[in-house]
Parts: sequence; C-alpha cells; structure tokens
Amino acid sequence: MDKKETFIAAIKENEGFIFKIASVYTNNTDDKNDLVQEIIYQLWKSFDSFNQKSSLSTWMYRIALNVAIYQLKVSKKRVLTIPIDGQVLDYHENDNSTTEEKWQVFRQQIDNLNLLDKGIVMLYLDNKSYDEIAEIIGISPSNVGTKLSRIKEKLKTQIFKKQ
Amino acid sequence: MELDELKNTWDNSNNPPEQQQLITIKMIDQMTQKKYHSKIKKIAYPEIIGVIICLISAFFIGIYFYKLDTTFLQGAGIMSILLLVTLSIVSFLSLRQLNIPVDVNRPYAATLKIFATQKLQFFKLQKINAVLSYLLLVSILILMSKFYNGRAISEIKYFWIYSFSFGYLFLLFYSKWVAKYYKKTLQQTEELLEDLQQYSMNN
Repeated sequence: MDKKETFIAAIKENEGFIFKIASVYTNNTDDKNDLVQEIIYQLWKSFDSFNQKSSLSTWMYRIALNVAIYQLKVSKKRVLTIPIDGQVLDYHENDNSTTEEKWQVFRQQIDNLNLLDKGIVMLYLDNKSYDEIAEIIGISPSNVGTKLSRIKEKLKTQIFKKQ
Repeated sequence: MELDELKNTWDNSNNPPEQQQLITIKMIDQMTQKKYHSKIKKIAYPEIIGVIICLISAFFIGIYFYKLDTTFLQGAGIMSILLLVTLSIVSFLSLRQLNIPVDVNRPYAATLKIFATQKLQFFKLQKINAVLSYLLLVSILILMSKFYNGRAISEIKYFWIYSFSFGYLFLLFYSKWVAKYYKKTLQQTEELLEDLQQYSMNN
C-alpha cells in the first residue's frame, strides 16, 4: 500500500470522529465543511512527521483537536479558499428530527464546558482509554479520571439548574 | 443529559454517508500541488487595511504640519501622528500574533494554553486600541477644522460643548459595550488557563 492509500484508509477509519469534532467546534454547515477540509489538509501535511511513537489514530485525534482550536482562532478572519472537492464534502444532514433535537441538547450541554473539558469528554465518548486520552490531551491518566468525574458533576449541576 | 446519555447521542450522531468518500487520491494530488488553500493562513485584511490607513493619515498630517500655526495645534498634530503610529504598531502586533507558526503535533492542552494566552493578549490590545482610538478622535477633530476650514477650533462657536458632550457619550456607551462583550469570554479564558495550569502542574 503506498502512502496515499495508507492515508485514505486511516481517514476512512477515523472519519466519524473528524466529522463529530467539526460538528462540535462549529455552528454552521459551511464552517463544518471548512473544518473537515482543514483537518484533512493538516493531517496530510503532517503525515510524514508521524513517528509511530503513538498509534496512528491517537496522532490523528490530536491533530484534529488542535486544528479545531486553530480554526476557532482564525474563524473571524476568513479567507477565500478553493474547496478540495465541494461535491465530496456535500454530505447531508439526513438525521430525523428527534436525532437532531437530541444533538442540539448535546451541543448545549457540551458548549457549557470549557475547551479542555470539551476535548476530554469527546475522546471519552469516542471510547478512548484514559491512557489514550492522556496522550492526546497531554495530561496524566489520573488527571483524566479526575477531570471526567468533575465533568460528570458539572453536567449533573447543569441539569439541576435547568430543572 | 448525563454522560451516558451524551454517549448515546454521540454514537448516533451524523457520520458521513457510507457511499461518500471523505478523501480521494485526486484530492490528495490537489493538496500536494497546493491547489487547496489552508484556512490557517496568515492573512488578516482588516488589520492590514487599518495599518495602511493609519500610516497614510500620519503622513498626511506630517506634510501639512506647516499649516498648524499655534503651539496648541502643533501639539495636537504631534499627538495625532504618535497615536496613528502607535495604533499601527498595535495592529501589527495583533497580526504578528496570528502569524505564529502552527504546530498541530502538540498535545491538545499545550495548544489550548497558547490559544488562551494569545486570547488574553488580544483583549489587552483591544483595550489599548479602544482608548487610543478615542484620543485620536479628539485630536483629529481639532486638526480637521484647521485643515479644512482654515480656522482654529477656539474660533468655532460651540465646538467644545458639542464635541466633548458627544465624545463623552460615545466613550461611555462604547466602553460599556466593550466591557459587556468581553467580560464573559475573558472570564472563561482566565478560568481555562487556571485549569490548564493546575493540570499541567500535577502532570
């Protein structure tokens, strides 16, 4: 398998997370598509620097989260870009209204967390182990545990406040 | 929604449709040939335009400085030039911040630390910008009447009453708006930095 094929296979394997990150860090479809493009672009650009110290998936998650943060930084300073392929990224929000409604509630909850907690919780939701989360985020595994317990508390408080 | 419910929604949320490929060989070729323009780019048109306008205005005041025949007007002229140059520097600093090379290989927490620190610096620059802009407004008003009417401001009836009343009102509302706009974000950013500090120390 050559480099391009390996890359495509790796993207295919992790595309769900790329889409979900893009959905959580943006507020409209255009921005979401831009972020997906940007993540793929940065992954490809850095693909040679992947040193196999961590798993490919861990490395991809880290890059994807970092790109989302940089995108936040420059989101108000948009420049015109040539889309890599408009057609391919023109996927549809084919969810039914209940799922969409649930997603909106999800967004409300997760948007109340700070960016550190948001990153940790997304990785947790994506079934990453404490060790993997620690490696991606750059904190110790025990701190991941502490953080997750606090996040759970925070979420409960939010529900309580709403009621 | 508790964490388990969030997980349920997360698992069921929208993935790209099966039949569509997110990336193709063709797209990789385009990226390699740099046909794709990264959005993490170092262009910030408002700042660049702002710097150009400030420098042209400073140059204009410098050229017509000989028209300023009293010490008061000359003082206003020098102040305006200084303010315009300072505003250019402030904009330039904002631009430089945006130009810091991107390293997407860092751990997420390290990126967040940089992001939050830069955000706080940006807020400081914005505050400086707001104060300097108001001072500039006053000094430019003084100069404009001389440049365009040929009359010193002291000769224009009611000028001080109107300009300062409106200026004060403007400053009052503007500063309140700025404070309200930034307060929450500023607080959140400071909390995030504290959080990162705490967990980095324990790391």
